[in-house]
Parts: sequence; C-alpha cells; structure tokens
Amino acid sequence: MSPARSADQDAPAAGAGAPPATGGAPGPAGTPGSDPPGTDRTSPAVHAIELHKRYRTTVALDGLSMTVARGEVFGFLGPNGAGKTTAVKLLLGLVRPTGGEAMVLGAPAGDRETRRSIGYLPEQFRYQSWLTAREVLVLHCRLMRLDRSRWRDEVEGALRTVGLADRGDDRVGTFSKGMQQRLGLGVALLGEPALVVLDEPTSALDPVGRHDVRVIIRGLRDRGATVFLNTHLLEEAETVCDRVTVIDRGRAVASGTMAELTGGQASVRLRITGLSGRWWQSLERFGRWSTDRDWLLVEGIAAGQIPDLVAAAVGLGGRVEAVVPQRQSLEDRFLELLGEQ
Amino acid sequence: MTTSTVAVGRGTVSPALTIAALTITEALRRRLVLAFIVITAAVVGLSAWGFNRLAHHAGPGITSGEVNLAMPTSYILFMFMFSFVVALSASAIASPAISGEIDSGVLHAVAARPVRRAEILLGKWLGLAGLLAAYTAVVCGLEYVVVYWSSGYLAPDPVPVAAYLFAEGAVLLTLVLALSTRLPTLAAGVIGVAVFGIAWLGGVVGTLGTGFGVTALTTASKVVSYVVPTNGLWQGAVYYLEPQNYIIQQLVTQNDKGDPFFAATAPSAGYLAWAGVWFVLMLGAGVISFGRREL
Repeated sequence: MSPARSADQDAPAAGAGAPPATGGAPGPAGTPGSDPPGTDRTSPAVHAIELHKRYRTTVALDGLSMTVARGEVFGFLGPNGAGKTTAVKLLLGLVRPTGGEAMVLGAPAGDRETRRSIGYLPEQFRYQSWLTAREVLVLHCRLMRLDRSRWRDEVEGALRTVGLADRGDDRVGTFSKGMQQRLGLGVALLGEPALVVLDEPTSALDPVGRHDVRVIIRGLRDRGATVFLNTHLLEEAETVCDRVTVIDRGRAVASGTMAELTGGQASVRLRITGLSGRWWQSLERFGRWSTDRDWLLVEGIAAGQIPDLVAAAVGLGGRVEAVVPQRQSLEDRFLELLGEQ
Repeated sequence: MTTSTVAVGRGTVSPALTIAALTITEALRRRLVLAFIVITAAVVGLSAWGFNRLAHHAGPGITSGEVNLAMPTSYILFMFMFSFVVALSASAIASPAISGEIDSGVLHAVAARPVRRAEILLGKWLGLAGLLAAYTAVVCGLEYVVVYWSSGYLAPDPVPVAAYLFAEGAVLLTLVLALSTRLPTLAAGVIGVAVFGIAWLGGVVGTLGTGFGVTALTTASKVVSYVVPTNGLWQGAVYYLEPQNYIIQQLVTQNDKGDPFFAATAPSAGYLAWAGVWFVLMLGAGVISFGRREL
C-alpha cells in the first residue's frame, strides 16, 4: 500500500510483503450461492508489516508488525496513547499509513468491498440520535448492501443479542451511553462479518454489560469469526483472548498466547505437613522455593508441573492441605513489558 | 491474492441515495423543515399584507403609475430577502454536514462500511440540495401566488427566478460542503456567509462602477463574480423578476445607476457555463478533499 493512496480504496493492488492468498473470488455477502468477501480463509485475518503513522510531529505507529489468524480472538493491548486506535483506523482505511503495509482478510487494508465482511465498533461510538435503534441497524444493512430479505432477521437478531430488543423503536438520542455502545456492538454484528473489530467495547458498560460482551465475543469465536479486541483492560483480554499483542509507543513489544506472554511459568503456594528431610532436598528441580510458617512457596515452576509437585509431596508421606496456584498475571507481565521499554 | 468482484444484495440502492434520504430524514426529524415552514408562512403573510396595502391603500397624490413601478421594486426586495434566506440556509445546513459528523464520531461507523467517500459526500449534497430546491420552489411559488391574490400584481417568469435562486443557494451549498470536509463547522459556515456577503458587495461595487464610469470597480466586480458566482446568479433572478416596461423605464430615467436591485440583461450563456464549471470543480474538490481526509 502506498502511503499516498486515498483513504477511500476501491480496487487496491496487493502490496509487497503481503502473505499470499489463494482461492476463488469471494462473492457477495448475503447472496445465495456465493461467498462474502473475506471468506477465503487461507490468508490471515490481519497481517501488518512495519506500519508507520506520523501526524505532523507525533509518531503514532512506529513500525508495528502483527498477524492475526482467522478465527481467533485477538487482544490488542496497550496503554493510553500507545497507537491502538490509530492502528485500528488504519486497518479499516479510515487513515492512511505513512509507511509499511497491512492486509485485512487477504486484501489491502481499507479495501472497500472487503469492508463488507468487517464489523466495527468505534471507540467513539455515536449514531444518528434522530433515528431509532432499529432504523440505525437498517441503515447499516443498506450501507452494507445486504440482501433486503435478510434485513429483518439481521436487525432483530442484533437487537436481541445486545439486549435492546425492547428498545428497538426508541430514538438513539434517548439512550444512555452504555445503551449506545450496545447498539454499536449490534451494528458491528450485522451481516455475520468474518472480522469484528471492537475498539474498547466495554468502556461505557456496567458489569452486566461487560459480561454480555464476553459472551458475544465467545459466540463470535464459536461461529468462526475473527475478533480484534482493542482494549486497555487487561482482565478483559485475559478472559476472552486466545492471543494478545502488547503495543507501546506505536510498536509491538510482545505477542503470543497468555501462557507464552506470562512465560508459561507460575508460582504455587502449598500448605504441607509431615514431610521428611528428603523432600526438601528434591524441591530444587521444581523451582525456587521458600517457606513462610506452614506455607511453602515455589516460584518459577512450569504450570504443568504443579500436579507433579503435589504427587511428590504425597508420595513422600506429606499431607497436602492446600494448593494455591499463583500464575503471573497479564497485568504483572504488562507492567514488566512497559517497564522494559 | 484474491480480489473481490462483489455483486450487491437484492433490493438495495446506491449508498449515495441512502445518505441523501438520511440527510432529508434528519432535516425533518430535527424540525428544520418545520422551522422553515413557520418562518416562510410568516414572511409570505407579511408580504401579502404589505402588497395589499400598497396596491389598494396608496396615499393621496400617488398615481397608479407610481404604484405600478413600486410593485416590481417591492417584489424584488422581498425576493432578495428570500435569496438571502436560501443562501444563508445553504451555508448553515452544509457546514456541519461533514465536519460535524467527524467531530461527533457518527461518520466513523458509516465510513467504515463499503461506501466510497464520494458517495457519502454526494449523498449529503443530494439531500441538502433537494431540501434547498424544495424550499426555493415552495417559497417562489407561494410568494408569486400570494402577491397576485393580495394585490393583483403578477410577477413575470417565476420559474427562471426559482431556478436562479436555487442555483445561487446550490453554489454556496457546494462551497461550504467542500469546506466542511476540512474545516470545523463554525469556520466553514462563517466563511460561507462571508463569501456570500463579499460576492454581493462585489455586485454593488460593479453597479456603482458602471453607473459612474469607474472601470476599476467594474473590473473588480467582474473578477469577484467569476470567483464566486452567487451574485451573478442573483442578478439573473433579478432580471427575470423585472417586467419589460420596468426595465425600459429604469433605463430611460437612468434610475439604474448604482442600483444593486436592477439588472438590464440576463447573465450571458458564457457566464452560466462558467457557473456550471465552477460548480463541478467545487464539488470535485470536495470529493477529493473528503476522499483524502483522515478520520
């Protein structure tokens, strides 16, 4: 993708460095007997190479590279101002990169027809306040050019999914911020998109709403959609994401599954009584250990070795009264990563 | 890599028409149309009363010839007021059309859909221009009928008048919409109003230049009328508001000197062609500007 390209792309050419994609030409979303754009599942959902974005003197993205596989829930984490929203807008063609390139669903980022297969909840979610929720959803069905015969099911399904079934005929202007965010989520779900991009999807939601969003995300994963979850809420990412990339100052500083990111190591606290001296000598093979009254703390133990540790203690005649795994949290690792920068 | 050759779903319409319909719905639901109806009814009612008084209750010593001369003058002044409303309304409704929706975030969800930016802009233009056309047609028709009913004065050529007024408003609408793709709402609106005022003043200066033989003023006015053709188009409306005997009388008595509400000739075909080119260029500039705008 050339940095000089218009933000509004109709027939983009493949950029150098893009992963190859094969398969038949995708067909229209909602047209029987043809595949919607983005259903060629051989290419990654998102593939970005050395993306740069500069706003005058401010560097928003500084060589961001990442790959999001099809069908995964991908967490895009970073502190405020790290460049997360810029990256999302770039993937959707709302802004242009000043360097590098990105492919989304096998097409250059911003490709107009590919956007038919992308659902998007913006960080700044605002919808036409003079329309009803149902009308907003119909508007997006029109803009997506979904087959008219599908509108009713799509709209009612979206309203039900986001918990607005009984407010469908109310004007958006009467909605609370949380309800508007729910509506935005419903808009993003229309047309069974192959990729759903959620930019801080729970920022205005109460705990019930946040739980609902997690359920919706899991539902999307179950039907094979890719979810790109942009968030600074680590708990949110930890709960639903298969994989995360941590971004800071416009660069990816870490990427992987939760286990990979936290090093696959854990700590465990055990309350053990009745052990002989031989036991204590064998502890070194599990990790660093220390004691605190009746409690034994073993740090740096591989997560899969905790049952072995317990079995060894029991085998030597110990009484294991409590086992408290203490896996390094994503938050610890997150702070560690940012501290390293 | 694969490229998408995608047919659209059945029963769908162009996104530009969808946006145009949305724009009109917004005007209706935000009571903009209602406000126009109320204000127009009030002003047309006032003009009916005024024309009735003028036609049937002129003071002692006023001849019917003087009244007949006053009728077109008054009608032109009323229509100038309506042209002012059309132009300022065009500026007011166009200025937030893009920038306001970018600021609020409403446009982000729309622009992320498989819609060309050009379709969004043209859809907005279509919707707003449709509203402007409807308003102009209603107001010109109403005034024409009401003045005839209240005073017996039948103004000439109402259709070209409405067309010129609409064209004047459409020029300003297009300019402000293009500005709205880059400037904040307030700035785009203020510039639109200022440009309209400057163009009108340019016309007055040209009239004075012609009337008093000052070539520099006439040239400056001509330049302004080509840079912003709103006043040139207003002059077209003025010409078609004037009965032929009124034009002759003004020329014979040399009352036309320095009169900004008088036009001896209609705009030339060349000028109208230029206004058309100007409009296309401005709309094109808006499309390109919005296409390159980062959201």
